[in-house]
Amino acid sequence: MNITAPPMEEAKSYTARMTARRRLSAHTFEITMEYPDSFRFVAGHSIRIHYQDTYRHYSMVNDPDSRQLVLCVRLVQNGLLSPVLADCNMGTSFTISGPYGYFRFNPSPRHPVFVASGTGIAPFASMAHAGVEGFTLIHGVRYGEELYYRNQIESAAKAYVPCITQPSGHDSAIRESFHGRVTDYISRYLSPASYDFYLCGRREMLRDVTHLVDDRFPGSLVYTEIFF
Amino acid sequence: MKLYTGTGDRGKTSLFSGERVKKSIDRIEAYGEVDELNSVIGAVISFLPAGSRDVKRELLLIQSHLLHVGAWLATTDGSHAQQQLKTLDPGEIVNVETAIDRMQGRVPKLSNFILPGGHPSAAMAHVARTVCRRAERRVITLIHQEKLQVGDDHPNAHIITFLNRLSDYLFILARYLNHSESIDDALWSG
Ligand SMILES: Cc1cc2nc3c(=O)[nH]c(=O)nc-3n(C[C@H](O)[C@H](O)[C@H](O)COP(=O)(O)OP(=O)(O)OC[C@H]3O[C@@H](n4cnc5c(N)ncnc54)[C@H](O)[C@@H]3O)c2cc1C
Repeated sequence: MNITAPPMEEAKSYTARMTARRRLSAHTFEITMEYPDSFRFVAGHSIRIHYQDTYRHYSMVNDPDSRQLVLCVRLVQNGLLSPVLADCNMGTSFTISGPYGYFRFNPSPRHPVFVASGTGIAPFASMAHAGVEGFTLIHGVRYGEELYYRNQIESAAKAYVPCITQPSGHDSAIRESFHGRVTDYISRYLSPASYDFYLCGRREMLRDVTHLVDDRFPGSLVYTEIFF
Repeated sequence: MKLYTGTGDRGKTSLFSGERVKKSIDRIEAYGEVDELNSVIGAVISFLPAGSRDVKRELLLIQSHLLHVGAWLATTDGSHAQQQLKTLDPGEIVNVETAIDRMQGRVPKLSNFILPGGHPSAAMAHVARTVCRRAERRVITLIHQEKLQVGDDHPNAHIITFLNRLSDYLFILARYLNHSESIDDALWSG
C-alpha cells in the first residue's frame, strides 16, 4: 500500500504479562500474554511490544474472543526484541499498544487466496480461529517443521498448500507438499480467475506475488501486510 | 522497516480496497493532489512566524483530516474496506468556517484583487490555496468519471465541501499572516 491511512481505532497502551512460551521450530516460538479486559482486536490486527525506546510489531495468532494474545515469533539472531521474548522469565510484563493495521478478512464473491511466508501465517491462523473458512492457503517455508498451525488451518481451508524450499529426507511433511517457492506454485497451479489475495510476510514475496497477480490474475484484489 | 515495497515498479499500485490499478487513473490523481496539498500545508506550518501557535494547531488538525480524505479517495466506493475508514465529520467544515470568519474579522477589507505573496508563510498559504483548488477539481473529476452518487448521506459528500472551504480558509489565512506581520497585501492595479 502506498498510502498511509490513519488508524480507525485509537491505539492505546496496556501492560501485558507473558504467561506461556513454547517452541514451534528450531527458530520459532509461540508466546501467550495476558492483557486487560478493555483491549479488543480483530483477526489480522497487530500490536506493538515496546522495548527500550522503540517497539516491534506482532500479529495475533489466536481467536480475538479467546481473551489472550498469542504470538508466533521468529528468533532473529542478534535482533533486539525477539531474543528478549525468547529468553525472558515467565511472568515478565511488557508495555504493548494497539490494535494496529488494516489487514483483515473482507468477505466477497471471489475466492480468497491467503499467501504467507514463515511467521506471516499468524494473521491467517487468527482468521481461521475466528471462523473464516473455505479459503486457499499457500504457506511458504524453508523446512517442513515451520508449517506452524497446520492442523487448525487445514481444517478450515478448502485447499492447504505447503511450499517447502529446502525439503529434507527426515521431514515427515515433505510428502504432501509442493517443493519450491509460493510463486512457483501459483504460476504453475493456480487456475486463471479473479481472486482476493491476502499476502503476509517478507516484502520480496509480496512483491513477486503482486507482480504475478498483475500478469496472470486480472480483476483480483490484493491486500498486504509486510512483516519485514 | 524499509519504506519501499517494490509492488509499484511497473506503473501500478494497490488501492486501499485491494484493486490493482494504473497509477495514471483519476483516483490516484485525486489522492495524489490531496497528498500534495497536505505537504504544502506542512510547508506553510514551517514558515509560520513565531507566536502562531493557534494557527499551527489548526493546520495540524487539517493535515490529519486530509489523511482521512486521502484514505477515502484511495478506496473504491461501496467496497468492504470502506467500512474501516473514519468519515469526515461535517462539524469539521463548521470549524473551518468559524476560523475563516475569525480571521476575516481581523484583516482590512479588500477593494481589489491581491497579488499572492508577502511573508513566506503567507506566500506559501497562497500556494496551498491553489493546490487545494486543484485537488477539489480532481476530486470532482473522479466523481464524474466514476459516476459516483454522492448524495448528502454519502460518506464522501463532505469531502468536496471541506476542500472548497479549505481553499477559502487558506486565502484568508494568507491575508491574516501578512496582516499580523504588518505586511500590506499588494493590490492589483489592473
Ligand atoms: C505489522 C507487522 C507484524 C509483524 N508480525 C510478526 C509476527 O507475528 N511474528 C514475527 O516473528 N515477526 C513479526 N513482525 C516482525 C517483528 O516486528 C520484528 O521485526 C521481528 O521480531 C524482529 O525484531 P528484532 O528486534 O528481534 O530484530 P531487529 O533487530 O529489528 O532485526 C530486524 C531483521 O530481522 C529479520 N526479521 C524480522 N522479522 C522476521 C521474521 N518474522 N522472520 C524472519 N526474519 C525476520 C529481518 O531481516 C529484519 O530486517 C511483524 C512486523 C510487522 C511490521
